[in-house]
Amino acid sequence: MSRKTIVGALAVLGVVVSALPANAHHAFSAEFDAAQPIKVKGIVTKFELVNPHSWLYIDVTGPDGKVTQWGFEFGAPFGLKEKGITKKTLAVGTEITINGYKAKNDQNFGYAVESTLADGRTIKTGGAQDAPAPAAQPAINK
Amino acid sequence: MNTLDLNTLQRHRPAKFKKTASALLLLLAVFTFSFMTTGAEAHDSTKIPRLANGKPDFSGIWQTTSAADYDLEPHSNRKDAPPGPGIVEGGEIPYLPKALAQRKKNFENRATDDPALKGYTLGVPRAVYYPEPFQIFQRARDLTVIPQFGHSVRTIHTNNTEHPEDPNDWWLGDSRAKWDGDTLVVDAKHFNDKTWLDRSGNFHSDALQVVERWKYLDPNTIEYKATLTDEQVFSKPWNISVILHRHREKNFQLIEDYRYTLDYDQFYPPKPDQK
Repeated sequence: MSRKTIVGALAVLGVVVSALPANAHHAFSAEFDAAQPIKVKGIVTKFELVNPHSWLYIDVTGPDGKVTQWGFEFGAPFGLKEKGITKKTLAVGTEITINGYKAKNDQNFGYAVESTLADGRTIKTGGAQDAPAPAAQPAINK
Repeated sequence: MNTLDLNTLQRHRPAKFKKTASALLLLLAVFTFSFMTTGAEAHDSTKIPRLANGKPDFSGIWQTTSAADYDLEPHSNRKDAPPGPGIVEGGEIPYLPKALAQRKKNFENRATDDPALKGYTLGVPRAVYYPEPFQIFQRARDLTVIPQFGHSVRTIHTNNTEHPEDPNDWWLGDSRAKWDGDTLVVDAKHFNDKTWLDRSGNFHSDALQVVERWKYLDPNTIEYKATLTDEQVFSKPWNISVILHRHREKNFQLIEDYRYTLDYDQFYPPKPDQK
């Protein structure tokens, strides 16, 4: 392969790679487990609208009344804004139900495929290309 | 005649001295005159660069010589840092008790936890006194600040716009500036809490607000001052001050320094022939 061809191939590759959305920063399967669907309802304690992935932290009250802290990965800020989610939408104290998948490290982290807001809207909040569809499942708490 | 006549010498000294003195005075006058005429026109060392609109033009490549990034507070030398007098006004950062405990924890784990070691964006104000050059491109409506370290571009808006109503938690915050005479006053906020202020573990929360003052001391020196406010971490606002020097080396330029790609360099460019 001539040097010119290599440079040309790299240029094409560059265009293809840069055309991918910024929120494809890492794959779903790198951190999350498609075999462990989870649905939880919680109260927002912190919402980080940060590139390349936003994170939402919530307090989840279990059936036994015990409160645990959970963190869920959301898509990139711009993608969320296009769907109408800003800092104000998920202010501290807001109720939210998240349907997603648990983290592979088995800690209280997960990936939010879609979220149902307090006003009843259900929005796709994940940004990964390879994330599975939300599983039909009851919430672990109510 | 080899022998010296002291009397003659002494008698003659006043006259000789007078002659030398007048020659020196004349020389001085010539120098002063030439400095006044050519200096004022082309090479006035006190004249700072300005944009077409008359505002100071900070365009150029800048860097501090201070040891601020090792530790903002006064510190003696240690295995991973040279000593430094610190750049905090009053010496100490006024931490809230809980935050001070976190800072101590950060210090102990600095060899692994410093976000800069992971190649993260440095944040504000750390990108200003990090010991690598940064470049400023300036036009009337904004300044673009590009640190050599990391892959970040900071825009400081000077078009009389306000902070956005629906902000993100930006790595470099949102910067809006106004001119106070020849001083650029920048208000930066809407940060995230993922950057540190130095490599010794001084930190902030996402409630950080930085008010910066950029001022020319002479055409090749900027005085940078900043006031840091963060009610979740500090008991009161505090100030820092550093001097920035213009790089004047021939052909000096920024060289990309993306640390987070280094682990992957072995795979690029791909080598299909090597199995």
